[in-house]
Amino acid sequence: MKHTTLTFAVTAAALLGATAAYADYPTRAINMVIPYGAGGATDISARTISEPLGAAVGKPLVMANITGAGGATGSVAVQNASADGYTMLFARVGSHSVNPAMKATLPYGLEDFRFVTVYEINPVACAVRPASGITSMDQLIAKVAEGGISYSSSGVGSMPHLASAMVLSEFGVADPLTDATHIPQKGGGAAITAVLNGTSTFVCTNSSALASFVANKQLTPLLVTTAEPVVGFDAPTANQLGKDKLNQLVGWTGIAGPDDLPDDVAAKWGEWMAAATADPKFRETMEARGSVIELMDPVKANEFIQGQYDTFRTLVEDLGMRIEG
Amino acid sequence: MSFIDSLMAGLSLVASVEAFLALFVGIVIGVIGGAIPGLSATMAVALTLPFTFSMQPITGILLLLGVYKGGIFGGCIPAILIKTPGTPASSATILDGHPMAERGEAGRALGMALWASCTADLVSNLALILFAGWLASFALNFGPPEFFALILFSLTIIAGVSGDSLLRGALSALLGLLLATVGLDLVYGTNRFTFGDPNMMGGLNFIAVLIGLFAIPEIIAMAWNPTAHLGKARALGNAKVTIKDYIASFRSILRGSLIGVFLGSIPGIGAAPSAFLSYSEARRKSKNKANFGKGEIEGVAASEAGNNGVAGATLIPLLALGVPGDVITAIIIGAFMVHGLQPGPMMFILNVDIIYGLFIGLIVSSVFLFIVGSVAIKGFRFVADVPKRILMPAVLILCIYGVFAVNNNIFDVGVMFAMGWVGYVMMRYRIPAAPFLIAFILGPLLEDNFRQSMLMSGSDPSILLRGPITWFFWAMTLLTIAAIGRAIMRKQAV
Repeated sequence: MKHTTLTFAVTAAALLGATAAYADYPTRAINMVIPYGAGGATDISARTISEPLGAAVGKPLVMANITGAGGATGSVAVQNASADGYTMLFARVGSHSVNPAMKATLPYGLEDFRFVTVYEINPVACAVRPASGITSMDQLIAKVAEGGISYSSSGVGSMPHLASAMVLSEFGVADPLTDATHIPQKGGGAAITAVLNGTSTFVCTNSSALASFVANKQLTPLLVTTAEPVVGFDAPTANQLGKDKLNQLVGWTGIAGPDDLPDDVAAKWGEWMAAATADPKFRETMEARGSVIELMDPVKANEFIQGQYDTFRTLVEDLGMRIEG
Repeated sequence: MSFIDSLMAGLSLVASVEAFLALFVGIVIGVIGGAIPGLSATMAVALTLPFTFSMQPITGILLLLGVYKGGIFGGCIPAILIKTPGTPASSATILDGHPMAERGEAGRALGMALWASCTADLVSNLALILFAGWLASFALNFGPPEFFALILFSLTIIAGVSGDSLLRGALSALLGLLLATVGLDLVYGTNRFTFGDPNMMGGLNFIAVLIGLFAIPEIIAMAWNPTAHLGKARALGNAKVTIKDYIASFRSILRGSLIGVFLGSIPGIGAAPSAFLSYSEARRKSKNKANFGKGEIEGVAASEAGNNGVAGATLIPLLALGVPGDVITAIIIGAFMVHGLQPGPMMFILNVDIIYGLFIGLIVSSVFLFIVGSVAIKGFRFVADVPKRILMPAVLILCIYGVFAVNNNIFDVGVMFAMGWVGYVMMRYRIPAAPFLIAFILGPLLEDNFRQSMLMSGSDPSILLRGPITWFFWAMTLLTIAAIGRAIMRKQAV
């Protein structure tokens, strides 16, 4: 398939000249790769936007989940695709800022992709189970000093892993890696279950994933990382606790193509996304799930992701969390 | 609100043509999806999910539950007819179901599978409705040490499915354990045996390994010696399941259902181990022990009861705790979230109408499953009559499409063929495939839970004996190993 698209692109370029080839982009369906499994945060976000986005594009969007290795398998599939704008990726905080910052062996880096948009921001929240008796960050930090505190994540190099380390580090824990124990789980659901059944003390993850447990009083929220409070979370914001730097710690979903994606294609995506995110039904569904809709154009999206990556990378280097080999 | 009020509220919600139609259509989609090798129940649910976004919450969720239940049953159809599990949960059904089909009793095996499935489904749904709260709090007692003890006990199943030679079974299991280590290390996040290939980082795809191990060797054998099967009787036969068969297997069906309910209510295990555990328990208790693996109808009944018993019970952690129990319920929880529903204890207060609506729908689903299943058996039975020279190439094409579709990745198709040759060599040397599969499923669970336990305790092994649940499973493991040892001694003495 890749071969035919390549042949097509080359022939088209030869016949019409490189610029003209993209003038009437898209002429056919666009493949959209979701690097995470069905029913997960990225999948639901992608499928929700696919409706207004498909209307804006005017050609069908073929959604395909290519899962595995914390989003790496699907990302590599797009990295290696031809940059004709017909294979695009739903990039996510885990696959495109935490993973590249933490994993030396990752087969791709940020420079292998061109982001055309970021459209959704997810606040991150930290929570414990009520039985732990912890009700504030101060108490949690005090207990870290006593020892025996652990945190779960959806895997090594995942956003919740980095989030917990960053939160502990910001709250003055000198060495979060040895003072608290990281107990990795397989998947986001398992990470929360581990807190519920007492395997680990706390978890920091997307507020949308925690919302139902907080509403059900199965978990107590301690902190949200955004400047604004999160609806349904009776917990202070990072800014209220004087940790403004934690504002960088948010989840996001965006769309990316291979790094040599032409400018006109990127520009078209900018227009489509503006139309798609203006859709009131889309906004309503996303906001009901606790997402903040924030549309970034290609330039701003690249800046935002690079900024987050730099923060994470510095933290990873400082704490010695980088995974080699 | 009283029980009657809740029930009426639920009834008013589901008592629409639309809701029941969704459930029925879901079961039809599930049975067909499950029956196509490689498509699997998980895949069928994932494909249906986007369609539910625009539906009423209850209609959408019933549609998905229908697909789930239909898919778990549908998986037994190709398992029995063409020795290819349609869904991982039906791998145990192959052991006795396929030999029965070879003997011309496909109709009887399929009928028993349906009866056992529907019975287990009903038991599972009742367990959900009556004991959800109790089972959920039991499930929350399962931390890594309890899981470790349970999985360790489950590994003793290998002895039950090894056939004549325990040594060959152990060899097969070792191979499975070895291949299961491919992928990212849980605790360090480093690559293990990936040889620098990003495709290997996610581990070997389970469906690809499964299809490769069971279906492809049959196809290779057919290509190797196209006329070997001629002259062997493989007619459909008019053999049908009888009430007598059902009664004779009833104890195994009930036991399998209960095993399914327990394993289903604990998040993170899934239907395949339950089917194997139910099968090996049935074999252990049976008078016809020697006939297991050679086409014993009770084996089919036990494994199908074991996997369908899980289907209703996985909703226990989902509804009572908001925690997905397996891959399929992880997708279904997405449907809840899309509609702004938050599964968990509060849902029993805030959305009690939806909860009771689901309960009513679930009870009806067992009946629908019976109807759809009966029709499906009538239709699919004739696959057994298709000449092998036509059937096998068709199966091969279905397998390739199915395995590709799981992850839209051509690499998985390569894995399937590689595993096919491994499976073929194993078949030639009479090494059973089932232990491989069990080790492949349970190996990573065993390792992960052991390492998580060690992280919890700071490498103090005494955590593995931290409570009554762990003691129970350790005792069961020791007893089973002693029993296996005694059986071997006795065999040698003869």
